[in-house]
Formats: sequence, C-alpha cells, structure tokens
Amino acid sequence: MTPSAYLNTRVSLFANRLWREEDLSALLATDHAEMAGALAERGLPQLAAGFDTLDNRSLEQRIISRLLDETTVLIRPLSGPPRNFLIYWIERFEIGNLKTLLRGKMTGERPAVILSRLTPMGVFGRLDIEDLAHAEDVGELLRRLESSPYADIVRPARRAFEESHDPFILDAALDRSYYEGLEHRALPLESIAGQSFRRLMSSLIDRLNLVWLLRYRFNYNLPPAQVYYLLVASRYTLSSAQLRKLAALGSQQEVLSALPESLRGLLAGVDSIPEVFARMEHGTVDCARKVLHAGGPAIARAFAYLILREHDLRAVRAVLRGRLLGLPEADIRLAMFHPATGSA
Amino acid sequence: MFRAEPLLKIRLRILASEAADAALELARFGIYSPARHAPERLPENPAAVYRETWLEVEARTAKLVERCGALSPLSIPEGAEAPTLVDLEELNGWLKEVWITCLAAYEGEVRIEEEIRHLDALQETLGRLERLNVDLAYLLRPDGLLAVNIGSLPAASVKRAGEALSMTGYVIYNFDTIADQVYAVIAGPRDRHGEVRALLSQAGWRELPVPPELRTHPRTARAWLSEERQRVEALSIAECAVLESLRGKYRSGLEEARLRVELGRPLAAAAVLGVSGRGALASLSGWVPRRRADELKEKLAARFHGHYWLDVEEAKRHDAATTPSLVRYPAWLTPFVPLVRSYGVPRYGEFDPTLPFALTYLMLFGAMFGDVGHGAVILLLSVLFAGRLGRAAWLGIAAGTVSMLFGLVYGSVFGFEDLITPLWISPMHDPIRMLSVAMAFGVGFIALTLLVNTGNRLASGRVAEALFDSGGLAGLLFYAGATGGIASLAGANTGALPFWPLALAGIVTVAIYKWLESDAGFAERALVTTIETMEAGINLFANTLSFMRVAAFSLNHAALALAVFTIANGLDTTGHWLTTFLGNVVIIVLEGGIVAIQALRLMYYEGFSRFFSGDGREFVPLKLMDARVP
Repeated sequence: MTPSAYLNTRVSLFANRLWREEDLSALLATDHAEMAGALAERGLPQLAAGFDTLDNRSLEQRIISRLLDETTVLIRPLSGPPRNFLIYWIERFEIGNLKTLLRGKMTGERPAVILSRLTPMGVFGRLDIEDLAHAEDVGELLRRLESSPYADIVRPARRAFEESHDPFILDAALDRSYYEGLEHRALPLESIAGQSFRRLMSSLIDRLNLVWLLRYRFNYNLPPAQVYYLLVASRYTLSSAQLRKLAALGSQQEVLSALPESLRGLLAGVDSIPEVFARMEHGTVDCARKVLHAGGPAIARAFAYLILREHDLRAVRAVLRGRLLGLPEADIRLAMFHPATGSA
Repeated sequence: MFRAEPLLKIRLRILASEAADAALELARFGIYSPARHAPERLPENPAAVYRETWLEVEARTAKLVERCGALSPLSIPEGAEAPTLVDLEELNGWLKEVWITCLAAYEGEVRIEEEIRHLDALQETLGRLERLNVDLAYLLRPDGLLAVNIGSLPAASVKRAGEALSMTGYVIYNFDTIADQVYAVIAGPRDRHGEVRALLSQAGWRELPVPPELRTHPRTARAWLSEERQRVEALSIAECAVLESLRGKYRSGLEEARLRVELGRPLAAAAVLGVSGRGALASLSGWVPRRRADELKEKLAARFHGHYWLDVEEAKRHDAATTPSLVRYPAWLTPFVPLVRSYGVPRYGEFDPTLPFALTYLMLFGAMFGDVGHGAVILLLSVLFAGRLGRAAWLGIAAGTVSMLFGLVYGSVFGFEDLITPLWISPMHDPIRMLSVAMAFGVGFIALTLLVNTGNRLASGRVAEALFDSGGLAGLLFYAGATGGIASLAGANTGALPFWPLALAGIVTVAIYKWLESDAGFAERALVTTIETMEAGINLFANTLSFMRVAAFSLNHAALALAVFTIANGLDTTGHWLTTFLGNVVIIVLEGGIVAIQALRLMYYEGFSRFFSGDGREFVPLKLMDARVP
C-alpha cells in the first residue's frame, strides 16, 4: 500500500467523525445528564470527563490533545515536505504556549502558574518549557527562545520588541513569522498537491490578511505602511501588491469594495470586522469540505480534515461552555458555527 | 540475584515543619524510594509549595553558579539540616537580588561587547561610506526637508520593509551587508517620519548613530574611532574588575545556596510522589528493603527522638504491579543489567533473568562467532579501551574470551582452520550436526523458559495458569512429548518413553484450560480454543527453529573466512595479506556486530517474551546529591 493510499484511507475513516450541523444542534439539545454519554459515543471521551467544569483551559487542552493524537496518526505514513507541513501546522499550538510564556513573564507570574496554563504538546513539543518558565524576564526568555527550534519565528519578534517594548508588536510579529513559515512550507506542496491544496492555503492566508488589515488599520488606527508590514507576504488571491493598495485606503467600506471579485461576492453585505471574519471562515470551512470530499491529493485532504476537525471541536466547546454559562441558545449557535479555526 | 529483594511499605508521619528534615534523613539512609500508597487518607500535599520554591531556587542558583565560575567541590556536612520553606523563600529573595545585580553587571559586559562590535561596524561602515562619495554632514542635516536615517535591519526584512516604505514616499538604499544584517540609508519626506518610525521599529531597524566625529574627513574620523576603542577597552577592564569583585562578594553566599539546594532536594524530589498531609501533619510514603528496616527505625529514633509515627507493612502479592524491584547484583554482572533493562524491569516477585541472560548470551555469541583470533582481538581492544568503555569493557572481555574458547572447540584462528586441531568439530565439516546441536540447545532453552514462567506464575498466585496454560506445565509437557516424539522419529536414541501420549495429554490440558477460560458462546469458544491451542503449539516449534541461526551463523563465520581466503589467494603476496587483513577486519566489525544483535534477539524474543513481563518499576532511591553537582 502506498503512503498516499494509506493516508487517503485514514482521512476517509476520520472524516466520518466530523460533525454535521444537525449533530451539533442535537448536542445542544442533549440533557445535562446524558451529555457525557453523548460525547463518549461520538468518540470524544476526553471531553466527556469533566465537561461540566468551568475550567476553560482544561477543555481547550483536551481539544488540542485530541487534535495532536489525530495528527500523529495522519503523519505516520508521510515523509519530507508533506510531513513537515502538517507538523508545522500543529506546532501552531506550541506557538500559543510560547505566547503564554511571554505574557506570563511580562506580568511577572510565577513559573508554576505559567506552566499550569501551557498546553501539553506530547511528541510535538519542541520547547523545554520547564526551563523557559524559569527565565527571569522577557528579555532572557526571548534570548533562550532564540536558541530553540523556533528561532526563526522569535528572532524578528525579539528585534521588534526590543525597539518598541510593545506586547502587541511582539504578538503580531510572532503571528506574521509563523504564517510566513507556513506559506514557505506549503510552497513545495503546491506542485504535488495541486489546486485544491492551494485553494485551502489561499482561503486561510487571505482571511488572516484581510481581517488583520481591517483590524490594524481601522481599529488600532496604525499607519498604512506599518499595517502592510504586519501582514503575511502572500502569493494568493490577496497578493502583496493588492494588500499594499488596500492598506492605503481610507475606510473599511473602501477596502471591501476594492477587493477582488471572488472575495467581494463572499463578503457582500457585511459591514463589521467580526462579520468579515465569520463569512471568510465559513468560506474556509466550505473549501475544506469540498477538498475533503473531492478525492484529491491525500495531503490536501489531510489538511482539510484537520481544519474541519478543529472547527468541529471548537464548536463542541462552544456548546459546552455556552450551556455551562447559561447563554441564550441563539448566542451559542452563533459561536457554534463561527468558532475561530486557525486563528493564531 | 534471581529475585527482587523483599520490600516494606512505609509511611512516616511527622510534623509538616519537620518534613524537609525527614526527607533529608531518608535520603541519607540511601535506600528509600518515594511512592504513593493507596488508600491515602491525607489528601493535601504539604510539600507542593516547598517544591515550587525549591525549583526556583535551584534554577537561580544554577544560573548564578554558571556565571560565577568554578566553585569549590560541594561536600555536605554530617549534621546539616534541610532548609525550611521560610529559609528557601528568603534564599530565593536573596538570589533574585544577586541575579538582578549580576544581570546589570553582565548586561554591562554585553553592552561593552556590543559597543566593540558597533565600533567594528562603524569602522567598516566608514570604509563603505567613503565609497558613497556623499558629504555626510550635508546628508544628515537636521533642518532639511529630507529625513535621512542610517542603520541596519535583518536581511529577511529588507524586501518587505522596502515595499512598506514606498507607501510613505521613502526609499531605501542598501550599502553594506554584514552577516544577516543589511546596512542601509533610508530617506523620505520629513513630515511623514512619524509613520515610518513605527514601521522601522516593527522591522527591527537599528539606527546607526553617525557621530559628529564621523561627519568629517575620513582621517579625522579614523583617529576618533581609535580613541573610542581605547575608551571602550578601558571600560571593559573596569567591568571585568566589577564582575570579579561581584564573584568575590557573592561566592560564599552561592556556595551556601548550593548546599541548601542539595539539602532541600530530597523533599522537593519526594513531593512529586511520596508526600501527603493534612494541616500540620505530613506523611512521607515509599518503599525500603526489609533487611534495612531496623536500621531505618534506629536512625529515625536517633534523629527525631520519638516525635514521629512509622507505619511499616509487608508488600502484598497484589501490590506486585506497583511495587518497585530492587535487585542486588555482583559487580561482574552489572554490565549485563542495562541489556536486560532495555527489555524491561522485572516485576516485583518475578524471576530476574540477568544471570541466565549473561551466561546464555555469552554462550550464543561464542557459538556463532567462535574464533581464537577474532575473540583475542575483541578481548585485546576491550582491555585497551577499558578506561573509555567503563564497565561495558567487561562485556567485550567476556565476549572475546568465550569467542576464543569456541574458537578452540571449532579449531579456527582468524578463519584458518588448519593451524590448530579442533577440540570438537569444524562447523563447515559437518553442518547437519551443527544444526542438530543448535536445535537441541533451543529445545533445552525453551523448556527452561517454560519452567521459569511456571515459577513466576506460581509466585504471583496464578496457580491454574502455572499448571494448565500453554506457557506453564501443561505446555511444557506437550513440548517435551512432541520434541521427544519428533526426535525418536528422526532416529535419535531417546529411550522408550511414551512421548506422543505425553504430548497429547499436554495439548488436551491446554485446550481444556482455554475452553474454561473463555466466556463466549459455544461456537466462538470452540473457535478461540482451537486457534489459541494451535497457535501455542506452532509458536513453540517456530521458536525452536529460530535457534537454527546459532548453527547458521557459525557456518556463516567459516564461510565468510573462506570467501576472504578465496579472493586473497588470487592475488600476489602483498594483495594476499592485505585482503586477508581487511577481510578479517570486516568479519570482526560486521559479523561481530550482527552476531551480537542476533544473540540479543534470541534472548529477547525466544526467551524473555516467554516468561519475563518486564513491566516492573525501577527502585529509584531518594538521593542526597544530584549526580550532576560537581
């Protein structure tokens, strides 16, 4: 059996675990007493235990743990660029840990408190978090991270932070470097995995760039040149040249009107940044569904599956958290179907 | 040596304020392994905060010791007491202050280094700027319409920064590259400089201040640079003196901190598993060997004068899965222990196979690699490199010796079979006999593993399994009967024993046992019983056939030597001896390595898998001093 046939079979088997809208609605209507059983029945025993506690961090950690487990299975037959790509995609959560460490150091939290907030990365963990948590301050932490496997992501962020001492700059620089790394790793796959894979990447990077552009430009009022610099250098629908033009425009409406045709159609009628995000995320999920069910290259299907699975699990989290907090059903439904997949 | 020592489960109840001293005493005792025993009635962990503080103290001490340079070797005074939580917190505060002071000095040193690098860069920049043929004083005029910056940014940011700058009417001109830094001039309208500043900060831009001294004739600028260098060197010497004085000032304090870290280590280490408590009461639980229990009681009595309560309990049979295994080995056997441990740790009460492993492994190695010359080389190399190899050298010495002994048996010296007369037989002269002996050895080996497995199961109270299962006595009965029957069919002189009825009795017993053990429906039960019984029988014989490799490798050894001689004989004298030499090197390295692995494989898969669960827990004693501490 070739690795791609194995991976395709694996993805097809995993695809049966994905939740349809009606499954999520049924979960929302499930009695509290039956919730643990319903989750276990849907293959989520990790979420079933202690689903009714207010410990959001633990729920998040268990969701990530589930994703890590499934990624471990998916990468088993892979080698070379496809394997590196999927591993890098899942390392997004370790970048999350890295940000938690930095924030903890900025606020002067004790190492044990910081450590309790980190997500266990299992075999994907590349940071010596015990050691890093005991760094004295952000400067020392950044210096240590520069000799970690994430040096390429951290180095530009450190330079920027040293000059500005602004946590926002640090976060933005880390995100940008991470996604540029993802694009870099996607490049060799686009010739193997074809258009479907490129469409997925495009949907992901275009969404990030457009939402960041709108947020930085019109919420934070940053100057156009700085906004452009903070975006991911892109080869997709919103190319770097287009982003430069969009960043120079004076209002949100002007930006939305100047978008390429395909995105203008998708975003017709929206007038707020959260709506832009939700609509574009819906587009990513749709695109991932098409890739998954179209029988294309195995790596594209595996990537699509991971995007959809994360979206699903976050929707399940939205149900559990929403019910626990006693939110109205309409609000839970809104969160269920727009639960922020892939945001770093 | 064959089984783990009998252990006692202990719970030492003591005042929480004395927990650190109690842990220290247990670490001094040297053979206490912390563990949590169920049921635990004291739900809190009074040492959790202690451990957390200790970890911070340890991390800070390690960093400072690393910066401070070599301290004197650490020795722990006999009567030293463990630090309390308050002591540790005070020490932590002091270490933090020292760290801040040292960090300032250290950063001063780093700044000087950066200044030196900066001067180097300026020197280089000056050379480059000269080539720009631009009057710097005019270019950098502060009152012009054009804002100009000279500086550096990471090479990876240049393209993006250039694109972003173009949005503000600025241009970027790169004039030099050193490592991953690009030196550039940025120029644009002064009224948009505010926008550019934020962008440059984001891009990691570092301004290269061009001092007035550099905005002049190059010769004058160079003279200024030379003066600056002298100034920085003077600063560096002063900074070194500051660092040295700090080292002198804090050295004794750091030595004390290091001592306290070691004295606090036992409770911090035990806190992970073996400390519980409630209110002012703490309980340290774990395991100690029965033979040292009285000694422990005496030590505790002498140290705490009766202000404690010690519960001692025998390890129960049903605790075997959670009880650690402590086995004492004679020094000569210890090199073999890691080979057994790489398969697993013997469960408490289980037969420890290290001794039979060592003997059988050596015998298999010798049988497959029997050669006086090759064995002598292995022996000699092991002796020569004994210093570097440590205890592992003993493995090489033993393997070399056994190889030499089998070499005498086979009459082989560096592959030459006509130099000495074999004590028994040369493998190539009677391969069938070699194969028969290897098989006979395999039968004996497997029968022995079945016996050991029976003993293990009896020891763990699984009597029915020991007597009736395929890995127990019934399996042994079947195996002995079937192999005897086959041997007599092949014409061996086995006497007139009723082999086949014995084999039948054995396999029927196994089948009945499997039938009774299965709780499925009739058809499924019949299927499971048939398949499992057949599998048990087939496995025994497949494993036996595996031992043919012992003979195969001894033949292979002789055949390889033959191939080397055939090639060598076709060459002239120099070529002949060169080929013979290189061929022997290949045989020793390549075949020696393969045989070592094959012998290990036989031990693991045909031996250990039959009787050795290997799922035990290592007895990890609480130690007073970390091995890494100098």
